Amino acid sequence: MASPDRKINFWTKAAMIGAVYALLTVAAAPISYGVVQVRIAEALTVLPYFTPAAVPGLFVGCLIANMVGGFGILDIVFGSLATLVSAFLVTRIRVKYLVPLPPVVINAIVVGAVLHYVLELPFYLTFLWVGAGQLVACYGLGLPLLFVLDKRRDIFD
Amino acid sequence: MSPSITLGQYIPGESSIHRLNPRFKIMVLLLLLVLLFTLNTYQGLLGLFLLVLAAYAIARIPARYVVRGLRPILYIVIFALVIYLFFTKGGVVLYRLGPVTIESEGALLGFFVITRLVILILASLLITLTTTPLSLTHGMEYFMKPLQRFGLPTSEVAMIMAIALRFIPTLLEESSRLMRAQVSRGADFERGSIFRRARTLAPLIVPLFVSAFRRADELALAMEARGYRVGALRTRMHEEKVSSLDWAALILLLVLLASAFVFQF
Repeated sequence: MASPDRKINFWTKAAMIGAVYALLTVAAAPISYGVVQVRIAEALTVLPYFTPAAVPGLFVGCLIANMVGGFGILDIVFGSLATLVSAFLVTRIRVKYLVPLPPVVINAIVVGAVLHYVLELPFYLTFLWVGAGQLVACYGLGLPLLFVLDKRRDIFD
Repeated sequence: MSPSITLGQYIPGESSIHRLNPRFKIMVLLLLLVLLFTLNTYQGLLGLFLLVLAAYAIARIPARYVVRGLRPILYIVIFALVIYLFFTKGGVVLYRLGPVTIESEGALLGFFVITRLVILILASLLITLTTTPLSLTHGMEYFMKPLQRFGLPTSEVAMIMAIALRFIPTLLEESSRLMRAQVSRGADFERGSIFRRARTLAPLIVPLFVSAFRRADELALAMEARGYRVGALRTRMHEEKVSSLDWAALILLLVLLASAFVFQF
């Protein structure tokens, strides 16, 4: 097959990453939006380590996922922006064990702040609530995924 | 992971809520959000709650969708209630069990915060129930457009959102095919803890990405062949129209917001 325009390919690849993210969130819905929000799809936040196309991809996937469920408008705006920022930061990280850190910390801060404001609960509580779920998803699932994908870097070319 | 999931919550309909322009729906929702957080009396909240319910009635949304929409927040509501009821002190003691008391201050504040959250969820849900994800995307693109000035690729982002929406069912089918292939080789996705089950996802994710990226290549080639250029100006086949109903909804919200400020609801 002839190789397609790199620029267009960047965006279609991003679209597919977004689709997979949204798919994983919706398919695993009960644990995605429930107790301490363990979103399995958040494991995909390690993808920007392999390809920058994952930055818009994860943003879009998160937008779609949040449109379908979750906290509504606040999640759509702030949750997706948090994902965008952490995905961008991940592209800058070269130490594997630190890759899942931005999605844990940034999400816990941003979503934690939103919940703190909405529910008027102490910030450290909402921070821990969000952070715990992200920690499980990003370190528990994301890091193993990073090692698996690291052996198959060729699929991102 | 069952193949029978339906993406999006959109319920087709012809009501006036369905027909509102997505841009106006987003604006109205944002104003409602501001209104929600300016209200500080129970009467005000109750009024807004009734207004949202009335909108549901106009849109003819069956009650079971409302219940289903609230399920995701069940745990956070319980979490918040427990904290409020047991840790916020003040007012009259409502209930006493040994050293543990529930006091009126905590109950009042707790229920206020939760009612507000419920209204927030219901209002957002109404938008996704009455708008297709695609037209919601177009609505959002409109508001993101000013960011183009800062070099942000907003129209490309909106485009990949539409592509992602289009490919979710395709990739879902793909993943259930991969799953069946793995099961036939002895994989077990049904049992075990969430970690065990997640680990079994690895042999799914890699081939899923391989096939998704192959589709991305093909799609890029097809788009290029049809003359798509990144960054070029694009027009739309269906333009969203603005009706007087859109303005009416917006003005209603502005009036409510103004009166909430004036009368201190």
